[in-house]
Formats: sequence, structure tokens, C-alpha cells
Amino acid sequence: MNDASDPLIFMMGQYEAIIPQDRVYSSNHLWLKELEPDLFRVGFTSYSVRLLQDVYFLEWRVEAPTSLRLKQEIGEIESSKALSTLYSPAEGELVQFNEHLLDDPTPINTDCYGTGWLYDLRTSAIMKRPSEYVAHLDEGWEKTQNMLKGQIN
Amino acid sequence: MAGKKLTVVISQAQGKHPVRSKLEEEVAAALLMDPQVSVSLVPHLYDMSADHTGLVFLRSLKGPFVLLGWQYPRALHWTLDRQQIRGHMGITELIEEIDDDEEAIDDQPSQAIGSTEMPNRNIYCIDLRVSSNPQEYIEEIHRIYEEENQQLVQLTFGSLTNGNGSSNGVAQNGSATNGSSSNGNSGLTFDLTQYILNPAESDTPSAKEEIAQFKATQPPIKRRWYPVIDYSRCTNCMECIDFCLFGVYGVDNLDRILVEEQDNCKKGCPACSRVCPENAIIFPGHKTPAIAGAEGEVAGLKIDLSKLFGGSDDDAVDLAIRERDAELMADGREMVGKSVGLAERHTTSSRCRGERDELDDLMDELDSLGI
Ligand code: SF4
Ligand code: SF4
Repeated sequence: MNDASDPLIFMMGQYEAIIPQDRVYSSNHLWLKELEPDLFRVGFTSYSVRLLQDVYFLEWRVEAPTSLRLKQEIGEIESSKALSTLYSPAEGELVQFNEHLLDDPTPINTDCYGTGWLYDLRTSAIMKRPSEYVAHLDEGWEKTQNMLKGQIN
Repeated sequence: MAGKKLTVVISQAQGKHPVRSKLEEEVAAALLMDPQVSVSLVPHLYDMSADHTGLVFLRSLKGPFVLLGWQYPRALHWTLDRQQIRGHMGITELIEEIDDDEEAIDDQPSQAIGSTEMPNRNIYCIDLRVSSNPQEYIEEIHRIYEEENQQLVQLTFGSLTNGNGSSNGVAQNGSATNGSSSNGNSGLTFDLTQYILNPAESDTPSAKEEIAQFKATQPPIKRRWYPVIDYSRCTNCMECIDFCLFGVYGVDNLDRILVEEQDNCKKGCPACSRVCPENAIIFPGHKTPAIAGAEGEVAGLKIDLSKLFGGSDDDAVDLAIRERDAELMADGREMVGKSVGLAERHTTSSRCRGERDELDDLMDELDSLGI
């Protein structure tokens, strides 16, 4: 594959969110890297991780393997500053979770594009290309800031 | 000489949660042997219907008490208030860690309507999720015991006796009057002492086993879902009653907002808590701490990113509208979107504020907050 190109960068204020070009993306801020046709490894983008920061708790609500609907609630994540429900990025089959994260979720912070992967998903859904994902970030950035501000104030 | 016994009530976890059950039993067993304490076990506070004997028992308590339960203290306190079990919020030192410099800022709106008919006693609500170590609860209860007995020098609480035979005055009071005249159950006779654990009976091999058996004899109760109003925040603005289309809210004879038909509320729906301008509406079982009644400063610091990760892109009010529409649809009714029951400030085109914000300013702000 042609993953030779440099990663894209999205500026979150001063922070550079790195968007590698060797994978595809979902609109809910996950990356999907093809392991074999239609089988993807899934993880948080650096944009997600920047907003979450130091994750200390991750819990899955479903057991692998299982079939998923788009936007199905599949788990919870919590950091010292944020929490979120986690939703499936696409319709498909969740094949396995990254078991290591359940004991220690820190790789999510330290290596979100590598050992911090979340789960493997079999899907034929069409995802965003890196440039499309960056455009999606661009488009949503103001809204995201408003949402964050709304919650901080 | 020992002062008056302190009443400690444990509100049990929902369902059969083994870890929670074990902690309840350990705490109860330790307290059972404690001469300073009278300990009772009631079903999950939030799930008991208004005429449940467990609530009748709680209403019969006239003095100060400690309530241990599986919710945020604020949620416990206002659930009690809703059941006419009132008192000052006793200050407990056993609370969730609050982040460094964010000290408890007590900025209750001055227009808040407050509770009514508040007797002069303290109710100490403690969240059993704070620690898994029973000893911490025991120590805190001893601290409260000392605190209350110091206050007794100035205050007199009725005529509770501390004799040998009667475990405490509450039981006498309860069984003599059935504690029920006020709630339309005068026909029934309750033995309110059923909730009080009696050390005399527990010379069996293990107090914990005894307690487990005691719990097993209590019939399970169904789970409920309804809003609980925090009157220390509520300003009686009526936005919730306008918003909810399921007839949950009403007003009392003083025109104060009240949750009138709790079982009309839609399970899992927290919609009205999102439109309340004072964050006064608590759903104790909701997963978001701010909605479940965490103290403002704890809740305020955790940012809910669910919208970002696929929940929806809406702001709180949009979300509330969607949640409400979903429930209307489930009821076979017409969806109403934002056309019904929203205060004007939500419907006039928003977002003129904030758009001038510099990205960098925001990130700096986030950085300073450590997000
Ligand atoms: S919306 Fe909130 S502040 Fe207004 S009446 Fe309802 S609970 Fe009280
Ligand atoms: S959660 Fe929904 S149904 Fe329940 S009181 Fe609020 S608006 Fe009404």
C-alpha cells in the first residue's frame, strides 16, 4: 500500500493532531487500519486522545465476538478530566478487543495509533480517507469548542 | 458515659450485586457490635414506593441519622427529601476526592426555593462507592457520633431512651403508632423494627451470614426511574414542567414544582435534567455524574465527550429534544421537536456568542484546566 506519504496534521489550537495516511477514519474520531480485506484494527485518533487525556478506565459493554449496529453503545471510557460512552463506528462484527488495555489503558495515551488499539472490526462500511477526516475535523472544530466551553463554564 | 445511639441506615444496592452486597454486610456486621450505633437495612432508597415500609421506617426516625447508599450524597439527600424525610445536610468527611484547588464553591442560586418543613436535625448521606474499605465508614460514623453528641449538649431531640431492652426510641415510636397515619396506610400494621438489626439475635456463627439471611428475607423491589429535584438549586422557574410531555411534574399547594407522577417518567430518559437552567434535576441512576447528582465541582470537571464519539452532535437542549421525541414516538405520539415547552432562550437562534473565540484562547483555557 502507499503509506509512504507524510501524516497529515490538524491544528487544535497549538496542538498538532497527527493523522497518519496509512489508514481510514470514522466520523466519530476512530482510525481503522485494514489487517486483511474487510477486517480492521480500530483505535482512537490523536484528536480524540488530546481531548480525553490520561485515560484510566475503559470498559466494554459487549462481549466479543458480536455483531454491531452503527452507533451502538459498546462501552465507557473515563479519564481524570473526561468521560464518554463509546459507540460503534460502523455496522459490522466486533472480532476481538485489545485485552491488554483492560488491565492498563495507558497505551491509549502513549501510542494511540499502535499498541493503544481498541478492537478489531469486520466491516464493509465505507470510511473517510485521511484528507476527508481532516476536513471533517475542520468543519466540526468550532462546534466542538463550543461544546467543550459549554461544559467547562 | 455513652451518649445517645446514632441511627445508621444502609440503603441496599439494586439487584444482587455481589461486591456491593459484601461491603454492606461487612459494614453492617461491624456496626452491629457497636454499642454507639443502631443499624438498619432498607431496600434501595430510590426504588421504594412512597408507601413502602422501609420509607415508613425512615419517616419514623426523629433524630439525626446516617444514610449509607449507592448514590451521590446529593442524590440520597434529595430522594429522602422527596419522601418527606428531611433535615439539614450533615457534613461528612468521607466524600469523593475533589480535584486539587477546585474547592467546594457553594454558589447556590440565591433565588433557590429550598426545602420545606425542615426539622432541626442532621442527616448524613454517604456514598458507599467512595471506598471499598468498611473501616473507613466505621470511622466516619464514629466521628459523626462524637459530633452529634457534642451538639446534644445544646439541643434536645425528643425523648429517645437508651435503656437496655429497647434498641432505640425509634422502634417504640414506630410500632406504637405504626408510623403510618400520614400516608394513608392506617389500615395496615407494620412492624418497623423489622429493619433494625438486633445484636441479640446474632450470636450465630457469623454476623455477616446473619445479615445476609436477613437481606434474603426482604422481597425484591422493582427498579424505578424518575427525576429528583434539588430544592437548594431549584428556582421554581417551571421549565421542566413545560418541557416534560408525560405528566411527571406538578405543583403543590404552594405552587412549588414537584415530581408528581414519578412512574410516568420514561426509563433511561434524562431529558428534562438537560433543560433545567439550575441543574437542579437529578437522575441518580444516570451514568453522567452531573446528571446523577455529583457535586457541581466534581461533575463540572469531567467533560462528557459522548457527543464527539458518536452519541450525537447536538448540544444539551438538542439532545433533550431528541430524547423526548424518541419517547413520544415509543408512546405512539407525534414528535414535537422544539415546538413545545422550551424556554425562549433555547429557541431563539443561538450561537452568536462564542464564535469570536480564538482557538488558541480556548486551548489555553483547556490547558489551564488540564483537559
Ligand atoms: S427547571 Fe429546574 S429550576 Fe426550573 S422548576 Fe424545574 S427543577 Fe426547578
Ligand atoms: S425524563 Fe423525560 S419523561 Fe421523565 S420527567 Fe424528564 S422529560 Fe419527563
